[in-house]
Amino acid sequence: MRYNCFIWILLLLSSLVLMFVLAPLAGMFMHTGSSEILETVSDREVLDSIWLTIWVSFAATFFFALAAVPLAWLLARKTFPMKSIVQGIIDVPVVLPHTAAGIAILGFISRDGLLGKAADAMGLSLINNPAGIALAMSFVSVPFLINSARDGFAAVPERLEKAALTLGAGRSRVFFTISLPLAWRSIITGFVMMFARGMSEFGAVVIVAYHPMTAPVLIYERLSSFGLKYARPASVLFIMVSLTVFILLRMVTFKKKEAQAAPDAEA
Amino acid sequence: MLKLKNINKKLGSFALTGINLEIAEGEYFVLLGRSGSGKTQLLELVAGLTAPDSGEIWIDDRDFTFRRIQERRVGMVFQDYAIFPNMTVFGNIAYPLHSKKLGRKEISDKVSLIAEEMNITGLLGRYTHNLSGGELQRVALARALVNSPRLLLLDEPMASIDASLRDDIRRTLRQLHKKGLTIIHVTHDFREAVSLASKVGVIHNGHIIQTGTPDSVFSRPVNKFVARYAGIRNFYRVRYRHDGKTWKAFCDGNLVIDIKGDNFPGDGLLILKSDNIKISVSKPPEDEVNCFRGVIREINPSEYGMEITADAGEVFYIDLTINEFKALQITESSEVWITFAPGAAIALPGTG
Repeated sequence: MRYNCFIWILLLLSSLVLMFVLAPLAGMFMHTGSSEILETVSDREVLDSIWLTIWVSFAATFFFALAAVPLAWLLARKTFPMKSIVQGIIDVPVVLPHTAAGIAILGFISRDGLLGKAADAMGLSLINNPAGIALAMSFVSVPFLINSARDGFAAVPERLEKAALTLGAGRSRVFFTISLPLAWRSIITGFVMMFARGMSEFGAVVIVAYHPMTAPVLIYERLSSFGLKYARPASVLFIMVSLTVFILLRMVTFKKKEAQAAPDAEA
Repeated sequence: MLKLKNINKKLGSFALTGINLEIAEGEYFVLLGRSGSGKTQLLELVAGLTAPDSGEIWIDDRDFTFRRIQERRVGMVFQDYAIFPNMTVFGNIAYPLHSKKLGRKEISDKVSLIAEEMNITGLLGRYTHNLSGGELQRVALARALVNSPRLLLLDEPMASIDASLRDDIRRTLRQLHKKGLTIIHVTHDFREAVSLASKVGVIHNGHIIQTGTPDSVFSRPVNKFVARYAGIRNFYRVRYRHDGKTWKAFCDGNLVIDIKGDNFPGDGLLILKSDNIKISVSKPPEDEVNCFRGVIREINPSEYGMEITADAGEVFYIDLTINEFKALQITESSEVWITFAPGAAIALPGTG
């Protein structure tokens, strides 16, 4: 294939962007010896923080999905007063400084806050607690799930839902047998994005819970207490685990089309 | 069977207005209209997918205007079939039966029966991605019919299939009609209406402008729009006068046409069907009325043979078979005589 000058310029610019993403990561991996990584793998504190990060982010994504997916359907299908304002509110966490988001969450879950008071009445403190971490992670990451799921529902042809209604299905059956299965790919993509974004969150999480330490907080703590050399192996391990989980979840999303067309819900 | 009483529905800048329609049991009603005329919106109102702003929808003498879709016993086939891609053909056809909470065996039996009727038994286990347009159409029909609806709604059922498959679908639809099913079929295709309808309606800009048997609508269109739908191209703006003996229509181009009938308005539009106009090279007898001398301007092949455009002070479009055309031995700029009976001219009120 012959490339003209314009295509070469595009390729060059694209390569620069890719290198900008890959170079720091590659540098970090190259500066970390295998013995340091092996040592970190046996470091209980690091392993606990990674495990905490993964399960809290997953649980937060799962529970928020139960409410966020129906909200996404409403945004895709219904018109209602102030819909654009609702859409704007959903995107607010994306543009907020994450430390400011953390402060907002802290106010909400502290003993003086609405949720904090309710939790306190049940003998639970959300600060320095995995539940508080989950809320902080969700606050900054739930827009990814809602927006992706909304786009997925919007891409489902409305006439399929109409056809199901004319075939005697109720609204809920149409949702579970037509809308949800056909928007599944986008919902999973949103789920993965929210999960990944939650795992990587530092700013909001560190304000609501320094302990127990999530991996990003632990990496920061090691950097500020012991320096780059000690922070790097934990970072490498966390990145490796995150990438593995991320790739596994993406593989579920991008399986062959036939797999996406799931077996009949009802046949 | 179905009565629409003064239905009004606003849809953005478009509105269905004053829709009154009555469809009898067992009738095959074809609603003709261009895209954007409101055909599909009207079907969706009948199906219950949307509710009218005002007016009533009666099915079998019961007011269904605001009743749930599920109670209407109406089957609908969408323009591009709306087959669920996440289910097999079996799953698609069984879908409405699950709504009725039937047992597995009963569902399986009903699906097999309708699949056999629609000649798609071999497709039941397949997903729908690789089915042809004709196969998808049959699946959509089977799915709409499996619940034995009282009324079948078809939205442009032949728009997305090859011409070669249309005859098959047409045959299937005729068979369904013969079995007594009431059908409303919307289309933009005049020929579909002629070949299937026992009754037709023409919709334009959200109004139904004429209903009746195909013969009555297409031979006596109420306005220029319906006439155009019937393939009529000869339109003349005229003034009607009575000369004491007969009615005459005075065209803008100075032609005076004898017409049959009574009580014509002062001004109007006169139409002539192309196949009612005769053409000859020799002068007809002196007593022949509506006999005009003209010149051939264009000769073009048409669906029926040849279409002749002749100028006799007004332009006439005339359809000839190939044999008629050969017998006349005419070419462009030949002089000819154009004749038609007074009864062939149809007077329309107004100019539109």
